[in-house]
Amino acid sequence: MRFSIQREALLRPLQQVVGVVERRQTLPVLANVLIRVEDGIARFTTSDLEVELSAQVAVETAAEGETTVSARKLFDIVKALPDGSRIDLKQDGERVRLASARSRYSLASLPASQFPVTEAGDVQERIEIDQGSFKKLLARSTFAMALQDVRYYLNGLLVELRNKGLRTVATDGHRLALAETAGVSESELRRQVIVPRKGVLELQRLLEVGDASLELAFSKNHLRARLSDSVVVSKLIDGRFPDYEAVIPIGADKIIQVDRESVRQALSRAAILSNEKYRGVKIEVQPGVLRVIAHNPEQEEAMEEVEAQTLVDKLSVGFNVNYLLDALSAVDSSEVRIRLRDGASSALIESPGDETTRHVVMPLRL
Amino acid sequence: MRKIVHIDMDAFYASVEQRDDPALRGRPVVVAWRGLRSVVCAASYEARQFGVRSAMPALRAERLCPDAVFVPPDFTRYRAVSKAVRTIMQRHTDLIEPLSLDEAYLDATHDHQGLGSGTAVARAIRASIREELALTASAGVAPNKFLAKIASDWRKPDGLFVIRPEQVLDFLEVLPAARLPGVGKVMAARLQELGIVTVGNVRALGQLALEAHFGRWGRRLHELSRGIDERAVESARPTQSISSEDTFAQDLPLAALDEPISTLAARTWAAAQVEPRIARTVVLKLKTAEFRILTRSLTPSQSPDSAAELTRIALSLRERVDLPARTLYRLAGVGLQGFSERDEWLGRQVALL
Repeated sequence: MRFSIQREALLRPLQQVVGVVERRQTLPVLANVLIRVEDGIARFTTSDLEVELSAQVAVETAAEGETTVSARKLFDIVKALPDGSRIDLKQDGERVRLASARSRYSLASLPASQFPVTEAGDVQERIEIDQGSFKKLLARSTFAMALQDVRYYLNGLLVELRNKGLRTVATDGHRLALAETAGVSESELRRQVIVPRKGVLELQRLLEVGDASLELAFSKNHLRARLSDSVVVSKLIDGRFPDYEAVIPIGADKIIQVDRESVRQALSRAAILSNEKYRGVKIEVQPGVLRVIAHNPEQEEAMEEVEAQTLVDKLSVGFNVNYLLDALSAVDSSEVRIRLRDGASSALIESPGDETTRHVVMPLRL
Repeated sequence: MRKIVHIDMDAFYASVEQRDDPALRGRPVVVAWRGLRSVVCAASYEARQFGVRSAMPALRAERLCPDAVFVPPDFTRYRAVSKAVRTIMQRHTDLIEPLSLDEAYLDATHDHQGLGSGTAVARAIRASIREELALTASAGVAPNKFLAKIASDWRKPDGLFVIRPEQVLDFLEVLPAARLPGVGKVMAARLQELGIVTVGNVRALGQLALEAHFGRWGRRLHELSRGIDERAVESARPTQSISSEDTFAQDLPLAALDEPISTLAARTWAAAQVEPRIARTVVLKLKTAEFRILTRSLTPSQSPDSAAELTRIALSLRERVDLPARTLYRLAGVGLQGFSERDEWLGRQVALL
C-alpha cells in the first residue's frame, strides 16, 4: 500500500473517524484506523465494536493494499504538519512510513485482517432524507437522551419510521423530546430502532447543513447511515423503548404563550440563584404574566416576570430549570406554547400550530 | 499554641470482652468471627505476646496462639462503650474528632473545666475511663495532631506521654522517619536510599531537596520534620461514605454475586438511614481471588431512594466489570458516597416513565 495526498485532504477523513476510538480498547487493533486503498480511493475506518465510522478521499495511488496504524497518532502527526504539506504514506514490512518534506515517521502496524469490520446483515428498510432535515431532527431530540442509565434502552435515540415519515424520540425518564418530519418514505411500515448514544453523537457530528443526501439503511441489528463521503454503522440497542406516546399529556388544557427568547433569558438569569444540584425553579402563572422564582439553600431569591398570553390564574409548578432551557432551545419559533395542567403534572412545550416538535418536562414536587 | 490530646483505647474490643466476662481476664483473647477467611478485629495484650495482631487472618492467629479464646465481635456493645467514652471527653471540650470507635483527637486549648493544661485534661479523662468504665486508655499530649498521635503510642498500654512545645525538636531529632504520618513502607525505603533514617535527617536535608525529590509531599514532609502540623481538630467531620463489604466463604464468579450484593446493599441502606443527607453515588467494590481490587461507581440523575433501588444499581454495576467470565471474586462491597443536603425548598423530580 502506498499513496500520496495533500495534508488537508487527509486530515478531513481522519477527523471524521478518530472520535470513535476509545482511549482503552478491548482489542489492540481497535486503537488503529483501517486504511484501505483501492481504485484511487483511500478509505479510513475506525470502530469500538458498537459504532463503526468510515470516511474516504481520492488519493494518488502508487500501490493498492490495506493496513492499520494507530488512529490517534496518525491524526496527531498529520494535524501537526504544516499547512499545504504533501504527505506520502506507505507500507514497509510491519511498519508504515509517513514522509512529508523533511519529516519522516515510522509507525507500527497491525494486519488489516485483524480489524473487526462490522457485518451489518441484510437491509430490511431503506430511506433517503436530506442531511439538513435529519440534523434538525437530532438537534431537537438528542439532548434528552439518558447518560449511563441502568435502563439501558434510554441511553440512546429512538428512530421510528411511521406514516411515511420519520420520528426521533429521546427521554432520560424526567423529560422527553420528540421531533418528526413527513414524507421520507413510500412505505406505511412502522419500524422502531434504538441507536446508542455514541452512534447518534458521531452521526450528528458528521451531518452537514443543507440538502446533501443521507441514506439510512435498517437491518436487524444495525443502522447504517451513508453520507456523501462517510458511513456510520451503529449497533442497535436490543430493548423495548417505553411507550412514549402515553406520557405526552393530552389533558394539559392551561395554555400559556410567551416570547421564547424572553422566557429563555428570564430562566437563565433566575437559574443563577437556584439550588446547584436540583436546579429547581418555580413557575407561577396569572392572567398576562408568567413568573419565574428561584431560591437556594443560602436563602437568596430571584424573581423574573415575563409577559404572557394567557388567562390561566393561580397555577404554580416547580421544574428543573435546565430541562426547561434545553426544551426552549430546541424549538425554533419566536413564540412558544407551554401547556400545563396542575402543580403535579408535566409541561408540554411546542411551537404554536406546529406539532412536529414536542417536549415534555416532568415537574419537581413542590 | 494549641493543646491537642489524642486518646486511644487499649486493645479496645478485646478489653471490653474481658471486662464483661471475668473468665476471659488474663487470658489471650482474639475478637474475630469464626470462619476460614475472617480476620482479627482485635487482640488482647496477652494474645499480642504470641504475635497476634489486628487484621491478621484468624487462622494464622489460631496457629500462633492455640490457647487463645476466640470471641465474635459485638459492635453494638462496642459502640455503646465508645459513646460513654465520648461523654467523658465532652466534659472537657466540644472539639472532639473521633477517628474510629476507639480513638479520637481533642483540642483542649480552652477546656471546659479550666484545668488549663492538656496534660491535666488527659489525666482526668484517663482516670474517668478507668473508674467509670473499668477500661484503660493511652493518651498523647502535644501542640498538634500528628505529635499527639505519636505520643499516645509512646507509653502504650495504659500510659500518658507529653511532648511539650520546647521538646518537639529534640523528640523529632531521633524519631524514626517511618513514624511520620504518610510514610509507609515504600516511602521509608525511598528515604533510606537518600540516607534518611530519623526525622532529624529529614530536617537536615532541607525543604528544597525534599521538594525536589517528593514534590508537594516534600514540603509537607519538611513541615512535619519541624513539628509543624496546622490541621484543626474537626469535631463534626461530615460522613464521606457509608459502605459494607464481605469476604465470601469461598471464591465466587460474578454471576453468583446476586445474593451477597443484595444483602450488602440492604445493610448499607440501613446504615445510611442515620445520615440526614442523601447520597448521590453508588459504588460497587470487588476483590478478585488474586486480590485485585476493582470499583465501579454510578451517579444516577435521581439519587437512589430505597434499598431496592440501591440493590438494582449495585447489581447493574456488575455489567461494567470487564474481566474474563471465569474470574473468581473473594470479596464484594456496596457503598454510598457523595452526600449532599436535601433540598429544603424543592422536593424531588417526578419521573416520567
